Order: sequence, then structure tokens, then C-alpha cells
Amino acid sequence: METKKIKTIDIIKEKRTVSAEAKQNLKEYNKIKKLILKSLESEAKTIPQIAAETELPLDVVTFYLMTLRRYGSIETGEIDDMDEYFSYKLKK
Amino acid sequence: MEQQNELSFDTLVIGGGIAGSEAAINLANLNYKVILVEKDLSLGGKMIHLSKVFPTLDCAACITTPKVSETIRHPNITIYTYSEVKNIVKVSEKKFTATLVKKPRYVNEDLCTGCQECEDKCPVVVKDQFQYDLVGRKAVYVPFSIANPRVVNIDIENCILCGLCEKVCPVDAIDFTQEDVEIPLTVKSVIIATGFELFDPTQILRYGFGKFKNVVTAMQMERQLVPTRPYNSVLRPKDGKMPDNIAYILCTGSRDETVGNPICSQICCMYSVKQAQLLLGALPMADVSIYCMDIRAFGKGFCEFYQQAVGMGVEFHKGRVAKITEKENGNLILRYEDIEEGKIKEVEHDLVVLSIGVLPNPDAKLLFDSPVIESDEFNYVKQTDELLCPPDTNIKGVFVAGTSSGPMDIPDSILSAGAASACSANYIRN
Repeated sequence: METKKIKTIDIIKEKRTVSAEAKQNLKEYNKIKKLILKSLESEAKTIPQIAAETELPLDVVTFYLMTLRRYGSIETGEIDDMDEYFSYKLKK
Repeated sequence: MEQQNELSFDTLVIGGGIAGSEAAINLANLNYKVILVEKDLSLGGKMIHLSKVFPTLDCAACITTPKVSETIRHPNITIYTYSEVKNIVKVSEKKFTATLVKKPRYVNEDLCTGCQECEDKCPVVVKDQFQYDLVGRKAVYVPFSIANPRVVNIDIENCILCGLCEKVCPVDAIDFTQEDVEIPLTVKSVIIATGFELFDPTQILRYGFGKFKNVVTAMQMERQLVPTRPYNSVLRPKDGKMPDNIAYILCTGSRDETVGNPICSQICCMYSVKQAQLLLGALPMADVSIYCMDIRAFGKGFCEFYQQAVGMGVEFHKGRVAKITEKENGNLILRYEDIEEGKIKEVEHDLVVLSIGVLPNPDAKLLFDSPVIESDEFNYVKQTDELLCPPDTNIKGVFVAGTSSGPMDIPDSILSAGAASACSANYIRN
């Protein structure tokens, strides 16, 4: 008969609670991630274009877009004619 | 808290940066048994995060990683990362006792292969301290790509206890039952190699660091210049624009009585000159200006390195920046006095790099219970015989290596670690 293996996460859950800050942080990340990924569904865009469309601050878009790029959801596209802004697109 | 049996070694090396590793390897090669304790998750200290070293422009990681590997694989060196030492007491000559506290990673280090499957699944994103907050990392993470040991760590403060990491781990390495472990130590000598701290530029409000996103520190720029950079190129953190007019402000937090650090940090001039040259390689169309009181090019090859930067087109302006203001487009206006022309000037740049200074690491003072370790007037570990035996401290058998005793560059840190290991060997032997 197979015995069910105890997960250590269940043990720590009895001792620790998740902070309100951590929950809020996750909620915010999910919201921003959704907005950025949705914005890139139609075409590749630059950071200012994504910020204008999502109404998110520019630095917030930069931070989360680069994080999504790091974890493989987004890839870098072409640089614009003025050699100023790269465009970013969804990774297929 | 779990207790373990006492461990005994010849030398305790505190700090696993370049100086600590060098000292540990030297002693281990002489057949002494060494315990090396590093408070961070990986060996390599600050050097492992650098792009290149000055004035040779050699790859920093190419120098650090073989040294770290040699330290980890040496049969005479026992390493504890993510651990701290406290309560060091000198009981008698050649006998020190201490307590080692091993903090929980919530991962079994012997089982973890660093495959990062858990990291892929983790839903949490927080600022990555190893990329100096330029990008996010997960709550379960390998600190950085060349971290050694390459083992994941769970940031329990930001973990939402979803258990996904434990579910996907192919080797069952996740262990949320881990707690602090205290291990009593006995050693014959101690080497302090706790390194330095970086100045926090938020203390200088007029530079706007933290408020103006296009004002970055030199360490943030350093990360942008390494192959494992946070962005796809050198970009402005505010809007992802490729900068083409970059300013460096030297002596940010050093040679400045107003922030409590009157001494020269010894490395800022040259790392700024180095970064300026690397930037001109990464962004060939960019202009780079350095605002300074003067350039201290005191080491071997430093003056030639500075002249090379001038020849490449880096502009040097003599004058201390008084204030930075931000324009709507994210560009920054620097107000400074041009000392050579005797005029107040305002210039526009699209990215500003603060060449932050170094500060003493306060940890060194907290290690000892009895006797206490003495500090010099600038709070670095006091060298009692700076000329004849620089590693000596006020406690016989305790030696100082690297930047724990004052600001210095990488070659000097390595040299200092060599001296500390020689003194330690001499102390144990006689």
C-alpha cells in the first residue's frame, strides 16, 4: 500500500502566515503582468507605447517588462529608427 | 533552534569575498584546516558582480570564479555560506571559541541541483538585490547565474507558501522544516575579511537617487555592463531608452564630511574611468562626462588608463555637482561650478551615474565578545602595526585582510589577504 508523502509546506503553514505585503505584492504583479502581456498581443511595442496604452508609470513597465523578459515570456525586438527605444514582443 | 556538535579548525576566515578566499586557499595549501564563513548565499563577494577590472579590463568573473571553485573544492577548506559567526572569545593563546549560525535556505543543499524548475513555477516577483533592484526575481531563486554553491534559496519573507516549488522539485530538495542551526567552534586563529559596504546615495537628497529613476549607482551600471545584464542593452531604468549622454558624479559619499565619510574610497575614480570606456564600447555614439574634484590615478597603469579614456573622448569636468533636477522627458539637469572657468553651469544629461564610495562593514565589530576588536577613527578594523605587520589587530591571533581595514582595490585586497594568511600561519606554528 502506498503511503502519502508529507509535504513540508504543510508543516511551515502551521507556524507561519503570509504577510499582507507579500499578498499585495503578488496581486500587483499579476495585474501588471496581465496588462503588459495583453498590450503586446497585437504587435511589438516600445516601453513608452506600453505605458501609454496601459496607463502604468514608465519605470513600472520597465521593471516588470524586463522581469517578464528574464523569465521568458517576452523577447526583444527591433530598435526604432532613432536608435532610442527597443520594441518587445511576446515569446512564441 | 537546532544545536550541533563542536567543530575544530586551525583558522576561521570570516568573509568569502576575494580576500577571504585568497587567505583560505593560502592556508589550506600549507595544510592547515580552514573554516570559511560567508554571510551571503554565494562566495565571491562584491567582485563576482563586476563586469571588468581596472586598469587591465580583464573579465572580473573570469578571475573570481576559478578562485571560488578552488576554494570550494579544496579538501582543507570547509565552507558555510548563508551563515554568520558570533560570540568570538579568546580563551588562551591559539584557542578561540565562537558560535556559527547557519541560516535556513529551506532547501537541502546536498540534494539541490540548481535546475531552477522551482524558480520557473514560483508566482512571486520581488526586486532582485543581486541586480541592484533593476529587475525582479522570484521568491525561490538561484542568487545569480555564476553563484557558487549553485543552490536555490527561498526568500521566506516574500514567499506566499503556495508549495509549488516543493511540488515540482524533481529531487525533493525543498525543505520548509529547516531552522537556524548553531554550531560551536574552536579555532587557533581568526582572519577578518568582512569587506566593505557601499554608500547609500539616498542620504544625498539633492542628487535625487530613488526619486529620479535615471539617476543610478555605479553598481547598477556595473550590472548593466556584464553579459548577464538585467536588460537587453544599456538602458535607462525609467523608460528603457538607450542613453546617449551619460554623466558620472565622482566622490558620491566619499571625501565628504557632510555625510560622515571624509576619506577617499580609492576605487571610484578608476571604476568610473573603466565604466566610461566600457560604455563607449557598448554605446559608440554616446557622450560620457565625468564630474570630479580631481582624478586620483595613483596605482600601476592607472594614469595611462585615465589618458586612454581621455583619448577615447571621455570628457572630464572639474567641479562638484550641487544639484540634480529632472525634466519631464526623464533627462536630468546638473548644476555645478566649473572650477577651471569659475562659472556656475547647468548641463543636461539623459542618464546620471553616481560613483558611490565605500564604507566600513559594521559586522566586523559585532563578531567579538572578548576581547573586543578595536576600530580606527573611520570605523575600519584597526591595524596595530600598519608598517611592519599590516594584518595585526589588537587581538593576538586575529588578523585583518582586504577592505575590512580600509578602502583598497582588488590587487591590494589580494596582497593583504596573502599577508594575513602568512601571519596566521606564523602565529599557529610558533
